[in-house]
Amino acid sequence: MIGMVIQVLTLSGLILSAGLVWYFRDLLSAAISFGVFSFLLSMEVLFLQAPDVAIAEASIGAGLTTAVFIIAIRATQKVTEADGE
Amino acid sequence: MKKVLTWIFVAVFAASLLLCAAGLEFGAPAYRDMDDYMIAHGQEETGANNIVTAVVFDYRGFDTLGEATVLFTAVLGIGLVLRTLAMEDEEYEYE
Amino acid sequence: MNMSSLVRTGAGILMPFLLVFGFYIVLHGHLTPGGGFQGGAVIATAFVLLMVAYSYEIIWERISLEFLKNTETLGLMLFILTALIALVAGLAFFGNWLLGAGGLFGTPVSYGINPGDLNTGGVIPILNIAVGLDVLGAMSVIILTMLFAVRRDA
Repeated sequence: MIGMVIQVLTLSGLILSAGLVWYFRDLLSAAISFGVFSFLLSMEVLFLQAPDVAIAEASIGAGLTTAVFIIAIRATQKVTEADGE
Repeated sequence: MKKVLTWIFVAVFAASLLLCAAGLEFGAPAYRDMDDYMIAHGQEETGANNIVTAVVFDYRGFDTLGEATVLFTAVLGIGLVLRTLAMEDEEYEYE
Repeated sequence: MNMSSLVRTGAGILMPFLLVFGFYIVLHGHLTPGGGFQGGAVIATAFVLLMVAYSYEIIWERISLEFLKNTETLGLMLFILTALIALVAGLAFFGNWLLGAGGLFGTPVSYGINPGDLNTGGVIPILNIAVGLDVLGAMSVIILTMLFAVRRDA
Protein backbone atom coordinates (compact mmCIF):
# COMPACT_ATOMS: atom_id res chain seq x y z
CA MET A 1 0.00 0.00 0.00
CA ILE A 2 2.66 2.49 1.07
CA GLY A 3 4.79 1.46 -1.91
CA MET A 4 1.85 2.13 -4.22
CA VAL A 5 1.43 5.63 -2.76
CA ILE A 6 5.14 6.36 -3.18
CA GLN A 7 5.07 5.16 -6.78
CA VAL A 8 2.04 7.26 -7.63
CA LEU A 9 3.66 10.32 -6.03
CA THR A 10 6.89 9.72 -7.95
CA LEU A 11 5.09 9.29 -11.27
CA SER A 12 3.01 12.44 -10.66
CA GLY A 13 6.21 14.31 -9.86
CA LEU A 14 7.73 13.00 -13.10
CA ILE A 15 4.84 14.29 -15.19
CA LEU A 16 4.79 17.58 -13.26
CA SER A 17 8.53 18.23 -13.67
CA ALA A 18 8.41 17.23 -17.35
CA GLY A 19 5.60 19.75 -17.81
CA LEU A 20 7.61 22.38 -15.97
CA VAL A 21 10.53 21.88 -18.36
CA TRP A 22 8.16 22.78 -21.18
CA TYR A 23 6.47 25.58 -19.26
CA PHE A 24 9.43 27.64 -18.01
CA ARG A 25 10.63 30.43 -20.27
CA ASP A 26 13.79 30.85 -18.22
CA LEU A 27 16.37 28.35 -19.44
CA LEU A 28 18.09 27.94 -16.09
CA SER A 29 14.81 27.02 -14.40
CA ALA A 30 14.11 24.53 -17.19
CA ALA A 31 17.55 22.95 -16.73
CA ILE A 32 17.03 22.61 -12.98
CA SER A 33 13.60 21.06 -13.41
CA PHE A 34 15.14 18.65 -15.92
CA GLY A 35 17.56 17.66 -13.16
CA VAL A 36 14.60 17.10 -10.84
CA PHE A 37 12.99 14.98 -13.57
CA SER A 38 16.13 12.84 -13.85
CA PHE A 39 16.31 12.38 -10.09
CA LEU A 40 12.66 11.29 -9.87
CA LEU A 41 13.21 8.95 -12.82
CA SER A 42 16.14 7.33 -11.04
CA MET A 43 13.98 6.92 -7.90
CA GLU A 44 11.27 5.27 -9.98
CA VAL A 45 13.78 2.93 -11.63
CA LEU A 46 15.09 2.06 -8.18
CA PHE A 47 11.55 1.17 -7.05
CA LEU A 48 11.30 -1.12 -10.08
CA GLN A 49 14.37 -3.00 -8.75
CA ALA A 50 16.99 -1.96 -11.29
CA PRO A 51 19.74 -0.35 -9.18
CA ASP A 52 22.24 -0.40 -12.06
CA VAL A 53 20.10 1.88 -14.15
CA ALA A 54 19.29 3.99 -11.11
CA ILE A 55 22.97 4.74 -10.40
CA ALA A 56 23.64 5.57 -14.04
CA GLU A 57 20.57 7.80 -14.30
CA ALA A 58 21.28 9.60 -11.03
CA SER A 59 24.89 10.40 -11.89
CA ILE A 60 24.52 11.13 -15.60
CA GLY A 61 21.02 12.58 -15.76
CA ALA A 62 20.94 14.57 -12.55
CA GLY A 63 24.65 15.41 -12.33
CA LEU A 64 26.47 15.64 -15.63
CA THR A 65 23.63 16.66 -17.97
CA THR A 66 22.57 19.49 -15.68
CA ALA A 67 26.17 20.71 -15.53
CA VAL A 68 26.42 20.57 -19.34
CA PHE A 69 23.17 22.54 -19.69
CA ILE A 70 24.23 25.18 -17.15
CA ILE A 71 27.64 25.63 -18.79
CA ALA A 72 25.98 25.92 -22.20
CA ILE A 73 23.50 28.48 -20.88
CA ARG A 74 26.36 30.49 -19.39
CA ALA A 75 28.16 30.39 -22.73
CA THR A 76 25.28 31.70 -24.83
CA GLN A 77 23.56 35.05 -24.86
CA LYS A 78 20.08 35.70 -23.62
CA VAL A 79 17.54 36.67 -26.25
CA THR A 80 14.62 38.63 -24.88
CA GLU A 81 11.05 38.47 -26.15
CA ALA A 82 11.47 41.70 -28.15
CA ASP A 83 14.43 40.38 -30.15
CA GLY A 84 13.23 36.87 -30.82
CA GLU A 85 10.23 35.47 -32.61
CA MET B 1 -4.20 27.10 -37.12
CA LYS B 2 -0.64 25.96 -36.59
CA LYS B 3 -1.21 25.65 -32.87
CA VAL B 4 -4.34 23.55 -33.36
CA LEU B 5 -2.44 21.25 -35.73
CA THR B 6 0.35 20.91 -33.18
CA TRP B 7 -2.09 19.94 -30.46
CA ILE B 8 -3.83 17.42 -32.75
CA PHE B 9 -0.46 15.89 -33.61
CA VAL B 10 0.52 15.69 -29.94
CA ALA B 11 -2.82 14.09 -29.04
CA VAL B 12 -2.58 11.48 -31.81
CA PHE B 13 1.03 10.70 -30.91
CA ALA B 14 0.26 10.30 -27.20
CA ALA B 15 -2.83 8.22 -27.94
CA SER B 16 -0.91 5.85 -30.20
CA LEU B 17 1.82 5.43 -27.58
CA LEU B 18 -0.71 4.80 -24.82
CA LEU B 19 -2.65 2.33 -26.99
CA CYS B 20 0.54 0.38 -27.67
CA ALA B 21 1.40 0.35 -23.98
CA ALA B 22 -2.09 -0.65 -22.89
CA GLY B 23 -1.83 -4.02 -24.60
CA LEU B 24 1.37 -5.00 -22.85
CA GLU B 25 1.49 -7.28 -19.88
CA PHE B 26 3.82 -6.05 -17.17
CA GLY B 27 6.73 -8.27 -16.25
CA ALA B 28 5.96 -11.10 -18.67
CA PRO B 29 8.17 -10.98 -21.76
CA ALA B 30 7.18 -13.33 -24.56
CA TYR B 31 10.68 -14.41 -25.57
CA ARG B 32 12.64 -15.38 -22.49
CA ASP B 33 14.80 -18.33 -23.53
CA MET B 34 17.97 -16.22 -23.49
CA ASP B 35 17.11 -14.73 -20.09
CA ASP B 36 16.52 -18.14 -18.57
CA TYR B 37 19.77 -19.46 -20.00
CA MET B 38 21.79 -16.51 -18.69
CA ILE B 39 20.22 -16.66 -15.23
CA ALA B 40 20.81 -20.41 -15.00
CA HIS B 41 24.36 -20.57 -16.38
CA GLY B 42 25.74 -17.04 -15.96
CA GLN B 43 27.42 -17.62 -12.63
CA GLU B 44 29.37 -20.71 -13.62
CA GLU B 45 30.26 -19.49 -17.10
CA THR B 46 31.51 -16.03 -16.17
CA GLY B 47 32.39 -16.28 -12.48
CA ALA B 48 30.57 -13.06 -11.60
CA ASN B 49 27.78 -12.90 -9.06
CA ASN B 50 26.21 -9.87 -10.69
CA ILE B 51 24.42 -11.22 -13.76
CA VAL B 52 23.96 -7.75 -15.25
CA THR B 53 27.71 -7.16 -15.30
CA ALA B 54 28.22 -10.69 -16.61
CA VAL B 55 25.93 -9.94 -19.54
CA VAL B 56 27.41 -6.51 -20.22
CA PHE B 57 31.08 -7.50 -20.07
CA ASP B 58 31.11 -11.15 -21.06
CA TYR B 59 28.13 -12.25 -23.15
CA ARG B 60 27.75 -8.86 -24.81
CA GLY B 61 31.32 -7.60 -24.82
CA PHE B 62 31.03 -6.20 -28.32
CA ASP B 63 28.23 -3.88 -27.27
CA THR B 64 30.38 -2.49 -24.50
CA LEU B 65 33.21 -1.96 -26.97
CA GLY B 66 30.75 -0.04 -29.15
CA GLU B 67 29.66 2.04 -26.17
CA ALA B 68 33.26 2.93 -25.36
CA THR B 69 33.79 3.86 -29.01
CA VAL B 70 30.72 6.10 -28.96
CA LEU B 71 32.04 7.84 -25.86
CA PHE B 72 35.46 8.29 -27.47
CA THR B 73 33.84 9.72 -30.62
CA ALA B 74 31.84 12.16 -28.50
CA VAL B 75 35.02 13.36 -26.78
CA LEU B 76 36.73 13.64 -30.17
CA GLY B 77 33.87 15.75 -31.55
CA ILE B 78 33.78 18.03 -28.51
CA GLY B 79 37.54 18.45 -28.70
CA LEU B 80 37.44 19.27 -32.40
CA VAL B 81 34.63 21.79 -32.08
CA LEU B 82 35.76 23.58 -28.92
CA ARG B 83 39.53 23.15 -29.23
CA THR B 84 40.33 26.55 -30.71
CA LEU B 85 38.42 28.34 -27.99
CA ALA B 86 40.19 26.36 -25.28
CA MET B 87 43.60 26.97 -26.83
CA GLU B 88 42.94 30.69 -27.13
CA ASP B 89 42.12 30.72 -23.47
CA GLU B 90 45.65 29.66 -22.70
CA GLU B 91 46.82 33.12 -23.63
CA TYR B 92 43.77 34.72 -22.10
CA GLU B 93 45.02 37.35 -19.69
CA TYR B 94 43.80 37.26 -16.17
CA GLU B 95 43.48 40.50 -14.36
CA MET C 1 33.22 33.11 -10.90
CA ASN C 2 33.60 31.68 -7.44
CA MET C 3 30.61 30.14 -5.73
CA SER C 4 29.86 31.00 -2.11
CA SER C 5 32.02 29.51 0.62
CA LEU C 6 29.13 27.29 1.69
CA VAL C 7 29.15 25.57 -1.70
CA ARG C 8 32.94 25.28 -1.71
CA THR C 9 33.05 23.76 1.76
CA GLY C 10 30.25 21.36 0.90
CA ALA C 11 32.04 20.28 -2.26
CA GLY C 12 35.23 19.73 -0.30
CA ILE C 13 33.45 17.60 2.27
CA LEU C 14 31.53 15.57 -0.30
CA MET C 15 34.47 15.00 -2.66
CA PRO C 16 36.27 12.12 -0.84
CA PHE C 17 33.02 10.27 -0.16
CA LEU C 18 32.00 10.53 -3.82
CA LEU C 19 35.42 9.28 -4.92
CA VAL C 20 35.33 6.33 -2.52
CA PHE C 21 31.79 5.47 -3.57
CA GLY C 22 32.69 5.64 -7.27
CA PHE C 23 35.77 3.46 -6.92
CA TYR C 24 33.78 1.02 -4.79
CA ILE C 25 31.19 0.71 -7.54
CA VAL C 26 33.91 0.15 -10.14
CA LEU C 27 35.88 -2.43 -8.14
CA HIS C 28 32.84 -4.36 -6.89
CA GLY C 29 31.14 -4.27 -10.28
CA HIS C 30 30.98 -8.06 -10.53
CA LEU C 31 29.44 -8.50 -7.08
CA THR C 32 27.09 -5.61 -6.36
CA PRO C 33 24.88 -3.42 -8.57
CA GLY C 34 26.84 -1.06 -10.72
CA GLY C 35 29.84 -1.49 -12.92
CA GLY C 36 32.43 0.41 -14.85
CA PHE C 37 30.07 2.83 -16.55
CA GLN C 38 28.13 3.78 -13.43
CA GLY C 39 31.21 4.09 -11.23
CA GLY C 40 33.06 6.18 -13.81
CA ALA C 41 30.06 8.47 -14.08
CA VAL C 42 29.96 8.91 -10.30
CA ILE C 43 33.67 9.81 -10.19
CA ALA C 44 33.16 12.23 -13.08
CA THR C 45 30.30 13.78 -11.11
CA ALA C 46 32.71 14.35 -8.23
CA PHE C 47 35.07 16.21 -10.57
CA VAL C 48 32.19 18.21 -12.01
CA LEU C 49 31.14 19.19 -8.50
CA LEU C 50 34.62 20.58 -7.98
CA MET C 51 34.49 22.40 -11.33
CA VAL C 52 31.13 23.96 -10.49
CA ALA C 53 32.18 25.07 -7.01
CA TYR C 54 35.53 26.70 -7.73
CA SER C 55 36.50 29.51 -10.05
CA TYR C 56 37.91 29.26 -13.53
CA GLU C 57 41.52 30.05 -12.64
CA ILE C 58 41.78 27.48 -9.86
CA ILE C 59 40.40 24.72 -12.11
CA TRP C 60 42.76 25.76 -14.91
CA GLU C 61 45.72 25.49 -12.54
CA ARG C 62 44.79 22.35 -10.63
CA ILE C 63 43.11 20.00 -13.13
CA SER C 64 45.11 19.02 -16.19
CA LEU C 65 43.25 18.32 -19.43
CA GLU C 66 46.14 16.20 -20.65
CA PHE C 67 45.94 13.94 -17.60
CA LEU C 68 42.25 13.26 -18.14
CA LYS C 69 42.81 12.62 -21.86
CA ASN C 70 45.56 10.15 -21.00
CA THR C 71 43.27 8.46 -18.48
CA GLU C 72 40.63 7.95 -21.14
CA THR C 73 43.11 6.60 -23.67
CA LEU C 74 44.60 4.28 -21.04
CA GLY C 75 41.17 2.88 -20.23
CA LEU C 76 40.35 2.24 -23.88
CA MET C 77 43.74 0.60 -24.53
CA LEU C 78 43.38 -1.63 -21.46
CA PHE C 79 39.89 -2.64 -22.61
CA ILE C 80 40.97 -3.64 -26.11
CA LEU C 81 44.21 -5.30 -24.94
CA THR C 82 42.31 -7.44 -22.42
CA ALA C 83 39.93 -8.48 -25.17
CA LEU C 84 42.79 -9.23 -27.58
CA ILE C 85 44.79 -11.39 -25.15
CA ALA C 86 41.84 -13.81 -25.22
CA LEU C 87 42.69 -14.45 -28.89
CA VAL C 88 46.27 -15.32 -27.91
CA ALA C 89 44.94 -17.66 -25.22
CA GLY C 90 42.94 -19.51 -27.85
CA LEU C 91 39.49 -18.25 -26.91
CA ALA C 92 37.05 -16.04 -28.75
CA PHE C 93 37.34 -12.25 -28.75
CA PHE C 94 36.29 -11.07 -25.25
CA GLY C 95 36.73 -14.62 -23.96
CA ASN C 96 37.19 -14.99 -20.23
CA TRP C 97 40.82 -16.12 -20.15
CA LEU C 98 41.38 -15.58 -16.40
CA LEU C 99 38.39 -17.60 -15.25
CA GLY C 100 39.23 -20.32 -12.77
CA ALA C 101 42.98 -20.07 -13.35
CA GLY C 102 43.63 -19.48 -9.67
CA GLY C 103 45.65 -16.31 -10.10
CA LEU C 104 44.43 -12.73 -10.24
CA PHE C 105 40.61 -12.67 -10.06
CA GLY C 106 40.72 -16.39 -10.76
CA THR C 107 39.27 -18.00 -7.64
CA PRO C 108 36.58 -20.50 -8.64
CA VAL C 109 33.12 -19.23 -7.77
CA SER C 110 30.86 -21.01 -5.36
CA TYR C 111 27.60 -21.43 -7.24
CA GLY C 112 24.22 -20.46 -5.98
CA ILE C 113 23.40 -17.62 -3.63
CA ASN C 114 26.57 -16.52 -1.81
CA PRO C 115 27.95 -13.29 -0.33
CA GLY C 116 30.58 -13.10 -3.05
CA ASP C 117 34.35 -12.91 -3.18
CA LEU C 118 36.24 -9.97 -4.65
CA ASN C 119 38.84 -12.26 -6.21
CA THR C 120 36.45 -13.90 -8.68
CA GLY C 121 35.11 -13.00 -12.06
CA GLY C 122 38.10 -13.65 -14.32
CA VAL C 123 38.46 -10.85 -16.82
CA ILE C 124 35.33 -8.95 -15.78
CA PRO C 125 36.89 -6.79 -13.00
CA ILE C 126 39.70 -5.76 -15.36
CA LEU C 127 37.18 -4.73 -18.02
CA ASN C 128 35.25 -2.90 -15.29
CA ILE C 129 38.31 -0.90 -14.29
CA ALA C 130 39.10 -0.18 -17.94
CA VAL C 131 35.61 1.09 -18.70
CA GLY C 132 35.62 3.04 -15.43
CA LEU C 133 38.81 4.87 -16.42
CA ASP C 134 37.41 5.43 -19.91
CA VAL C 135 34.11 6.91 -18.74
CA LEU C 136 35.78 8.98 -16.00
CA GLY C 137 38.19 10.53 -18.49
CA ALA C 138 35.61 11.04 -21.22
CA MET C 139 32.97 12.75 -19.09
CA SER C 140 35.51 14.97 -17.33
CA VAL C 141 37.12 15.96 -20.63
CA ILE C 142 33.74 16.87 -22.11
CA ILE C 143 32.75 19.08 -19.16
CA LEU C 144 36.23 20.58 -18.77
CA THR C 145 36.54 21.44 -22.47
CA MET C 146 33.12 23.08 -22.40
CA LEU C 147 34.10 25.01 -19.27
CA PHE C 148 37.33 26.22 -20.85
CA ALA C 149 35.48 27.25 -23.97
CA VAL C 150 33.25 29.51 -21.91
CA ARG C 151 34.72 32.94 -21.41
CA ARG C 152 35.22 33.78 -17.78
CA ASP C 153 33.12 36.91 -18.01
CA ALA C 154 30.35 35.29 -20.04
